[in-house]
Amino acid sequence: MPVVPPYVPFEYINMYLPVIYTGLIIGFFSLMAIAMEKRDIHILILTDLVGFAMILIVASVGTDLAESFILPGLVVELAEILAISEILISREMRKIQSKDMNKSLSPMDMTYDMEILTTAPNFIALVLLAFGVFLTGFTGGAVAGGGILLYIFSRKTRGLPVVEIEGISGISGLGWCMWIIGFCIFFLMPQYWLLSLFLAAGGLMLKVATKMGIIGILMREEYGKK
Amino acid sequence: MFNVFIWLIAGIILTIIGTLGTCWGPGVKDPVVRTLNTEVASVGVSLILLCYNHTLALLTMIATSVICTLILLRAISRLEEMGADV
Repeated sequence: MPVVPPYVPFEYINMYLPVIYTGLIIGFFSLMAIAMEKRDIHILILTDLVGFAMILIVASVGTDLAESFILPGLVVELAEILAISEILISREMRKIQSKDMNKSLSPMDMTYDMEILTTAPNFIALVLLAFGVFLTGFTGGAVAGGGILLYIFSRKTRGLPVVEIEGISGISGLGWCMWIIGFCIFFLMPQYWLLSLFLAAGGLMLKVATKMGIIGILMREEYGKK
Repeated sequence: MFNVFIWLIAGIILTIIGTLGTCWGPGVKDPVVRTLNTEVASVGVSLILLCYNHTLALLTMIATSVICTLILLRAISRLEEMGADV
């Protein structure tokens, strides 16, 4: 007789088996495809699917704790894909350069002329930022970061002063400090739980938003080139 | 009343078809096609999370799958520009 906590709704108990089998099937297929594939970039794309299998297996339990475990899983998967793609690119650069020293590795020039990139980004970025600040937490950070990404990506000027990149990293560190202070207050002075909750939510939002902004700078450096 | 299980089964079918399409589907020699096929599977996973009422997980899933696609497409186009074997 399986042990089911009494607060799990009846529907979720019925969903458990189909969803966990789906997760296992996806994991099996994608791992087999990874084993058969030779090229690195294809393996990187297939790891995305292994992440889905992980999410489904965690989600099949259906409790609040399972939901909270999905969030770090998704974020770690994102960071992993970003890091490995950078490593792949730099490795290929080194391989090509060892064969032919004179080959140019800088990205191609690309000119795009879209109406939405010249007139709308200010307004859309502002709306996204305001909505993100209203949401707070990880989701708000993602929404606000999307606004920053869009704004930075649509500006045509090339090169950002080092001061600005360091400033963005500084804000990211500040968000981290806010999160830790909120966490400490939660345990030391539980009567101020609302303050600590908002400190943690605001800190997380700053952290995620600045991280997405940095991705935007990274992409602008390569595609927004004139 | 609407039946939750219809959406659950739709999500499961989409996820499995998307996975099969990404692994051995038509045209997966091209990494761009492969990246876009993962989107089908991610929509299926989103439907399953929707059935479980996992709001935060669903929103985060949508955001991260979009960013993942952006990162992968950037890596693919950079590698193709350099003339690497993709």
